[in-house]
Amino acid sequence: MAGIGLSGVTKTYPGGVTAVDGLDLTVHDGEFFALLGPSGCGKTTLLRTIAGLEQASAGTVSIGDRDVTRLAPGQRDVAMVFQDYALFPHMTVLDNIAYPLRVKRIPRAARHDRAREVGAGLDLADLMARRPAELSGGQQQRVALARAVVAHPKAFLFDEPLSNLDARLRLSARTFLKRLQRDLGITTVFVTHDQAEALAMADRIAVMDAGRIRQVGTPREVFGRPATSFVAHFIGSTPMNLLDATVTGGRLTLAAGTLPCPADLPDDTRVTVGIRPEYLTYSKDPVEDALAGTVGIVEHLGSSSLVTLETDGAAPVGVVVEEGAEPEPGTRGWAVPRPGRVLLYRAGGGDLLA
Amino acid sequence: MSAPAVLARRAMARVGLYVFVGLVLVFFALPLVWLVTTPFARTPSYRVPAPSFTLHNFRILWDNPYAVRSIGNSLVLAGGTAVLAVVFAGTAAYALSRVRLPGRDAVLYAVLLLSSIVTGTAAMVPIFLMLFQLDLIDNRLALVLVLTGGLLPSAMFILKDFMDTVPRSYEESARVFGASPFQILRHVVAPVVRPGLATIAVWAVVQVWGNFLLPYILLHDPAKQPAAVIMYTFYDEGGQPNFALISTFSLLYSVPVVLCYLVVNRRYGFRFQGGIKG
Ligand SMILES: Nc1ncnc2c1ncn2[C@@H]1O[C@H](COP(=O)(O)OP(=O)(O)O)[C@@H](O)[C@H]1O
Ligand SMILES: [Mg+2]
Repeated sequence: MAGIGLSGVTKTYPGGVTAVDGLDLTVHDGEFFALLGPSGCGKTTLLRTIAGLEQASAGTVSIGDRDVTRLAPGQRDVAMVFQDYALFPHMTVLDNIAYPLRVKRIPRAARHDRAREVGAGLDLADLMARRPAELSGGQQQRVALARAVVAHPKAFLFDEPLSNLDARLRLSARTFLKRLQRDLGITTVFVTHDQAEALAMADRIAVMDAGRIRQVGTPREVFGRPATSFVAHFIGSTPMNLLDATVTGGRLTLAAGTLPCPADLPDDTRVTVGIRPEYLTYSKDPVEDALAGTVGIVEHLGSSSLVTLETDGAAPVGVVVEEGAEPEPGTRGWAVPRPGRVLLYRAGGGDLLA
Repeated sequence: MSAPAVLARRAMARVGLYVFVGLVLVFFALPLVWLVTTPFARTPSYRVPAPSFTLHNFRILWDNPYAVRSIGNSLVLAGGTAVLAVVFAGTAAYALSRVRLPGRDAVLYAVLLLSSIVTGTAAMVPIFLMLFQLDLIDNRLALVLVLTGGLLPSAMFILKDFMDTVPRSYEESARVFGASPFQILRHVVAPVVRPGLATIAVWAVVQVWGNFLLPYILLHDPAKQPAAVIMYTFYDEGGQPNFALISTFSLLYSVPVVLCYLVVNRRYGFRFQGGIKG
């Protein structure tokens, strides 16, 4: 077992696209680490560079205390689960799971025993004689995991392993995967574009954008105090309100009202105020230090609803309202931020100020 | 026109069509009927024989010093060429499919174009002279190599298409587990493109089986000549075809190819089990 260290890793494809740009990152031993970012931000490229399937254009990759930058994938002692699972179609489940041992020239009987053992642990005992085409998506995913587990690597690399599952299965697969990783204690790097998945499963998250890392932190840190307005916008199942404001006399002036300023900033500083809809309290009567608007759309989220307050000319404000307390569209409403939950970013997509 | 009249005309047209199709079928079936019945006829000739049955013709065939042996020669030539073509074309197609080379497609097309010349009639004289200088006339391995060379470009072309359809993640997955390129080829790529390899093997057998010119020019020892060449020696002194020999030999000559096709199709037929979930 081992941690993973990246320093100054850059990957430029022959066509000239720089998919990963001078990236530094440390994944601790035994950690479940998520690489999160929108599609095309370079997550897969970074994972493939760790695996050795892509050669870094610059920088070094180390696994444990070994510099593996120049090593072939097979010498790095990692196991990768691909987005499409890449199960061998002509082999049975048993042979698929046993494949890493076949490469290591372990005798057939021994490797089949080991594969059966691992397969049974992943609930595959009855499927051993089938071929991949005869399995459901969830079963295929477990076979791919079993094949990685059998290899007993220093690190697991998962590229969106849940994205081919339907929504309900994905939830149970999350729990399953997290438990598997905790039981095995193997360092795991997990690529996903789904922020909820990353928040739910990871010990730590790196949020990527355009080949760079924007923030590294625990799910709580990344959710509670996003380091940039990009991260703020990307994390959260209901997008964070990002509203333009200026500082005047220790207060924030927004299109929808004024709020106390949480930081000591000079007058006329232009900032972006970030407040999560979950951290706003709705009021149907006028209150102090609140954002005012006309109720536009009410979206049901299940046990709560997302109410959009329209402010004339400026960006609308989203508020999460308890079930049963939804206002009528067209009425006026006020949204009060919870104390300590107002974040300030430098205007124009900048960093966290307070 | 009244309705019954229209119906009658349609019926007539239909009958006419069936009669025509029937005649065409008989025309094309006749040679096949000749092929299966004449070997057993008492007086074999050009005609499809009247029903009669004898195995005497096979006795004549058995007693001919070259006939049965030539089938063996054909099997050796066809089998050898098929194996070499599959191995060489398979590895070349894999490399061509996976390695980015500038002008790769142009090279492939050029090779394909040239191949029709290499084993075509145009190159016969140079090939003969070359092998003659190298003292390789009457050498079966040399003939197999020449035959393989002629088949390789088309085989590579077809197999490259098959290789292109194998998802790279199969190979990358094996690579991460530490498989060497040859292990990947053996364990993953070859089994997945097996229908393609089988197609090439059968095609190579059929090509060699029917090839007359090359073995005729490059093998002079009748004991080494394949069936397609030996067939032309079954004439008596007066130049009359020996129908007892020709008919039985034709039947014997067709059986291996048909068997080969059936066996390969049964074992390696066009199946593809997808391991990729979209
Ligand atoms: N083999 C490749 N050749 C050239 N460009 C590529 C290749 N693979 C990915 N890219 C480009 O690199 C960028 C990052 O891709 P990728 O790592 O797949 O992103 P993600 O996995 O985050 O969606 C994209 O702009 C993509 O178009
Ligand atoms: Mg990706």
